[in-house]
Amino acid sequence: MAIPNEKPVDIFGASLFSAKLTRRQLVKTGGALLVGFEIAGAAVPKKAVKGKSSKNSLDPTLSSSWIEIHPDNTILIRTGKSDFGQGTTFTAYRQIVAEELNARFEDITTVVMGDTDRTPDGSGAFDFLGRGTPNVRKAAAYTYQALLELASQKLGVPKDQVSAKDGVVSGGGKSSSYGELVKGQQLKLTIPVMGDLTSIIGLTVTGEPPMKPVSQYTIIGKPYKNSVITSKVTAREQWATDVRLPNMLHARMVHPKTLGSKLISAGEPDKSKFPNAQVVVKGNLVGVVAPTEWEAIRAAQQVAAATKWTDWKGLPGDANLFQHLRQADWKTTRVAKSDKSRGDAPSAMTGAVKKLSASYEFSFMKHAPIGPTMALADVQADGSVHIYTHNQNPQALRGEIAQMLGASIDNIVVRTFAGPGHYGRSNGGNAGAEDEAVILSKALGKPVRVQWMRPDDFQWSTQSPAALADVEIGLDANGKMVAYQVDHYMPAGQDDRPVGALLAGLPTMPAPSENGVFIGSTVNEIADPWLYDGVSVLMERGHGTFQVGQKASPLAIGLRDHSMRTPGQFQQNYPRELAISEAAALAGADAIQFRIDHATEERAIGVLKAVRDASDWETRPSPASSAVSTGDQAVRGRGVSLMFRSGTYWACVCEIAVTPGTGVIKVEKSTIAVDPGIVVNPLQLTRQVEGGAVMGVSHALLEEAKFDESAITSRDWRTYPILKMADIPEIKVVLLNRPEVGAYGGGSEAANALAAPAIAAALHDATGKIARRLPLKPDYVQALLKA
Amino acid sequence: MVTIIVNGVQREIQSAADTPLLYVLRNDLGLSSPQFGCGLAQCGSCSVLLEGKEIRSCITPVSAAAGKAVVTLEGLPARWAQQKGLSKTDAEKTLHPVQQAWIEEQTPLCGFCQNGMMIKATELLEHSATPSLEEIKAAFTTSGPSPHLCRCGSYKAIIEAVQRAGTIMAERS
Repeated sequence: MAIPNEKPVDIFGASLFSAKLTRRQLVKTGGALLVGFEIAGAAVPKKAVKGKSSKNSLDPTLSSSWIEIHPDNTILIRTGKSDFGQGTTFTAYRQIVAEELNARFEDITTVVMGDTDRTPDGSGAFDFLGRGTPNVRKAAAYTYQALLELASQKLGVPKDQVSAKDGVVSGGGKSSSYGELVKGQQLKLTIPVMGDLTSIIGLTVTGEPPMKPVSQYTIIGKPYKNSVITSKVTAREQWATDVRLPNMLHARMVHPKTLGSKLISAGEPDKSKFPNAQVVVKGNLVGVVAPTEWEAIRAAQQVAAATKWTDWKGLPGDANLFQHLRQADWKTTRVAKSDKSRGDAPSAMTGAVKKLSASYEFSFMKHAPIGPTMALADVQADGSVHIYTHNQNPQALRGEIAQMLGASIDNIVVRTFAGPGHYGRSNGGNAGAEDEAVILSKALGKPVRVQWMRPDDFQWSTQSPAALADVEIGLDANGKMVAYQVDHYMPAGQDDRPVGALLAGLPTMPAPSENGVFIGSTVNEIADPWLYDGVSVLMERGHGTFQVGQKASPLAIGLRDHSMRTPGQFQQNYPRELAISEAAALAGADAIQFRIDHATEERAIGVLKAVRDASDWETRPSPASSAVSTGDQAVRGRGVSLMFRSGTYWACVCEIAVTPGTGVIKVEKSTIAVDPGIVVNPLQLTRQVEGGAVMGVSHALLEEAKFDESAITSRDWRTYPILKMADIPEIKVVLLNRPEVGAYGGGSEAANALAAPAIAAALHDATGKIARRLPLKPDYVQALLKA
Repeated sequence: MVTIIVNGVQREIQSAADTPLLYVLRNDLGLSSPQFGCGLAQCGSCSVLLEGKEIRSCITPVSAAAGKAVVTLEGLPARWAQQKGLSKTDAEKTLHPVQQAWIEEQTPLCGFCQNGMMIKATELLEHSATPSLEEIKAAFTTSGPSPHLCRCGSYKAIIEAVQRAGTIMAERS
C-alpha cells in the first residue's frame, strides 16, 4: 500500500545494507506508533517472501513489524518464535535488541510472540539465537541506523557525530530521547527478508546492517530475569488451557483402537445420562462434544466403549523393534554422507592394530509434555478460522490448516499462549489437537475446545525416532585412532501431517518419503558434527527408511516420528561418544585425554578440559581397577561425552553408582561445561542446562515408548515413567564465556543428549561391561551384567 | 448443590457433585492455576490445598470438598497475609514467600507443573520451616499419591526455591 507523496530519503540505502528508508511528515497526536517504515520494493526479492500479502499477517519487510519505538520511550518487539520455557524471547531477545539499539533492557516493555497476525517471521521454537544473528538482532540493527539518521537531522549534526546510550542520542552538545526523536513523524524502513513464512524455518532477515561490536556490549552477558516467570508464578499468565469463547463446546476425542483401525460404527451417547452430548464423525475421526467439560469426558468414555473398529496388526512390537529395523528397506532412500568423510576406511581398518566393532540401539521416546495437547478452534460461517493453542510454529500450523480445509492462509489466524513444553513436537506446525478442533468446530458451527486426555497424548502423538548404529574404530600401535566408520540407521524423523486430518481423510502434506524434500524426506542426514579431526580416515553414513508401520496401516498412521530436543543428533552422538569411550578403553587411555588427543578444535578441547577440572576427574583408563559386575554392593564409575550443536560446544561427565545385583543405576553427579561463545544470559542459560541435564538422565535410564503389534501401549506416567525429584543427580554447570568468538550459540538443546553416552561409559567404568542399548533400565542392565 | 470455601470465599457450585474439583475451579470459578496434566493423580499439576493438605483436584469430586477450605495458587498471598496478620495495605503488595522464591530463583521453565510444585512447597514449609534436602526430595517424590513430575527437569531449581522460601519465611517471622 503505497502512500502518496512520500519521498525516499537516502540514508543508507540498498546498496549498503540492503535496506531503504522513506519518510513523510505525519501529524499524529498521542498515537503509539510513531516510527513506521515503508516498503522500498527494489530492495526486497518479492518472490522470496510468501504470505507477505496475506491478510491477517504483518508485513515482514517493514521494520516496524519487528520493533516499535513509542513516544513514551517504551519499545515493543515481535517475534514469530514461540517460547515454551527457554525464556529466550523474554530475556535474551530483549537483551539483544536493547544492545543493538543502545537502549535499556527495561525500555523493552512488550514482547509479542507467535501469533500469526501479530508477528512477522514464523519459524519453529528452535535455534532461537540463530548462532548469533537471530532475526530480531538484524531488525534492531537496521532500526538503529534509522534512529541515528533521524537524530542527525533533528540535532543538525552529521550522522557520524551522533551517538546513543540508554535510549538517548547525543551530538553537537544536544540530545534527544528515542521517544522525542520519533514523535510526530512516521518513518518507513524497508528491510530485506527471504524465505517462506509457513515453512518450518519461516522468514530470515537478510542484508548486512552494521552491528554493535561485541567489545561494546553492556547488556548481553547479564543475568536478567524472565518477566513471564513472574506472571506464571502469580497465576496471572493466560495459558492456552484458560482460553474460553462464548458458546464454546468441550470436546474429547475417541481415537481408533489401533494405529491402523478403521471405523465400523461410532457409539451414541446415552441421552438419559448425557443429554447435551453429541458425537461428530468424519471418516475415522470421532469426537464427542458437550457444553461442560465433565459431561464431554464422561460421554466420550461411554461412546468409546460402544464404538467399533477394525482390528489391525502391523507393528513389530517393542521387543522385536531392532530386529525389525535391521530388516527394513534402507535401499530406497539415498545414503547420506558427512562432508568430513575422507580416506579409505576399509583399508585403514585392515591395517589397524586394534579394532572396535560394535552396534548401538536407541529406542523410541515420547516428547511427553506434562500437559496433554489442547486447542480451541472457532470456524466461522464466512470461512474465517481462529485457533487458540500452545504451538511451536503457528505459521506452519496455519499452512497445514489451510491445506486441510482447501482454504487460503488469509482466512486463518493462530494465537499462541503459554502451554506445556513439548520439546519440538509442534515445531513443524501441529502437536495433535489443533486440526481436530478445527474439524469439529467447522462441523458444529461453534467454537470447540479439544483437550487430549493423557492416553491420547501418549498414544496418538508422534515420537522421537528409534535408531541403530554400527561403528568401527581402528587404533594403531600407539593407541591412536586411525579410522572411524559409522553407519547410522533411522526411520524418517519428522512427520508433520496433522493426525486428525489423516483420520478424517482430509488433505495433508505427503508422508515422509525418499522423494520428499528437507524434513519431509526419509534421508538420514549426518547431524552430529565430527569433532576428532586428528583421525585421518573418516566415514560417516546415514541410512534412512520409512516410518515403522506407516505403509502397512490402512490409516497411513504407524509410529509417526517427530524431531525432539537435539533431534537426529542425539541418535548419532550417543553411539559415537560411547564408541569413543570404548576405543579409549581399548587403547588403555583416559577417556577425556583420548578425546583431547584426537580433537583439533580449540573450543572442543576447552570444554573437555573445563569439565575435567570441574568434575575432579581422575585421569586413568576405564574400567576402574575396582570394577566389578556382580554383587549387591553399589559400584561407582564415571564417563564423559562431547557435542557441538548450534554454535555451542558441550562436554559432560556423569558419575554413577550401579548395583549389579539389581541393575539399578543412580546418577550421582552430572557436570556440564558449555561454551556458547558469548553467554547472553548466564542465569537463564544455567537453568536451561540444568533442566536438560535432568531430562537427559531421564532419557538414558527410563524412557522407551512401548508398543505391541497394534498400538502404543505407553499410556500414562506409570507406563512411561520419567525421572522423579528424588533421583536427580547433583548438577554442576560451568559456563565458558568467550566474547572473542563474536557470536552466541544455542543453549536449550544438547544438554538432554549428553547424559546417555556418559552414563553408559560410566557403567563400563564401574563394571567392565558395555551396555549398547538405551534406555538403561534395571532389567536390561541386570541381565547384561550377569552375562 | 455443594458449597465450598475457595480462597476464603464461600462458593455455591452448580455443577454435578461428581465433577472433579479441577473443572469446578477452572471452568466454574475461573481459577486457572491448577492445570490438567493427567486426570489420574499421577503428576501433580492440578494440586490445591484442601484444609491445608495438598490434594489432586483432577480426581477429587467437588462433593469431597463440601464445606471445606480450598486454597489455590491465587490464594497463597492472602493465606500468608492471614498467617502473618498483615495489614490490608501490606497484604496487597506481598507475595507468598514460595512465590517470591520461585521468582528469585527463576525456577519455572515451561511452568505448567509449577502450580503443583508451589502448592506442595507451601504444604511442606507450613509443617517444616527448614526442611533438609532429603525431606524436600521426599515431599515431592513420595509424600503424595504420586511424585510431582516436571518434564522440563526443573527439580534442582525447585529445591533451591524451597530452601529460599524457607529463608524468606524465617526472615519475615
